[in-house]
Amino acid sequence: MDEESLIEEVVSAHRERGPHGEVRFAPAFHDLERDARRSAFDRSVEQRRIEALLDPQGLSTTGHAVLARIQKRP
Amino acid sequence: MTPEYRDQLLPRIAAGDVQAFALWLSSAEPRIRLSLSRFASSVDAEAVLQETLLRLWQVAHRVEVDPQGDALLRLGVRIARNLAIDHVRKLERTELVKQLTEQAAPDADSASPAEPDPLLRAVIQRCLEALPAKPRMALSARLENHGQEPDESLAERLQMKLNTFLKNFGRARQFLLECLRGQGVDLSFQSEAEG
Repeated sequence: MDEESLIEEVVSAHRERGPHGEVRFAPAFHDLERDARRSAFDRSVEQRRIEALLDPQGLSTTGHAVLARIQKRP
Repeated sequence: MTPEYRDQLLPRIAAGDVQAFALWLSSAEPRIRLSLSRFASSVDAEAVLQETLLRLWQVAHRVEVDPQGDALLRLGVRIARNLAIDHVRKLERTELVKQLTEQAAPDADSASPAEPDPLLRAVIQRCLEALPAKPRMALSARLENHGQEPDESLAERLQMKLNTFLKNFGRARQFLLECLRGQGVDLSFQSEAEG
């Protein structure tokens, strides 16, 4: 996969959980060089702004992912 | 949302009110994310941010409003910073840890997240509707999924190869940002690389 696609993968709010429930790094993050990681961060900021502005509750997909996680917990 | 209002939400969050936490998140999440900017080339800020927000929810009942204000947000910035430094340490980047720990804690109020704005939402919605079909499908899939499934699943549902899905997603955001700039709205962001 090329760098652009790896960056877009990191921009996703989906993160796998580890065996103890910890939030894992996106696998694609480890395949990126430092500059590309920073690009992924910048694009995530832009993306979350768009998401929050479109969402009726003003939440980004990160916010929704965290809320879903909280509500799944016993 | 003001720091005072965020503090007013704290008792409800501490009592386990998910809606109050959602309201707080809409204002605090962008600020904590930006506080991770200087770690962005070393750690996956999205993972650190989500871990931070989950921990805040767990410890909120022990947080008290203090005269400095914005107690939960300030705690969030500290947790995020400490988690990021732990990750950097694990990567044995000791020189970077030294440099980063010597820097002052960021001012959480310096960030200016987008507040809900119906007019702005309508502008974005118009730009979204003007997207070419496939980029719009990729963007909508992620928006509607709320980070619950990996891209492989979303791509498969749209009958796209993963790489095609990711390309379409990137094009969608670029198109949206350009469309918004054309409407006088600039949501683009560029962080400063750590020195």
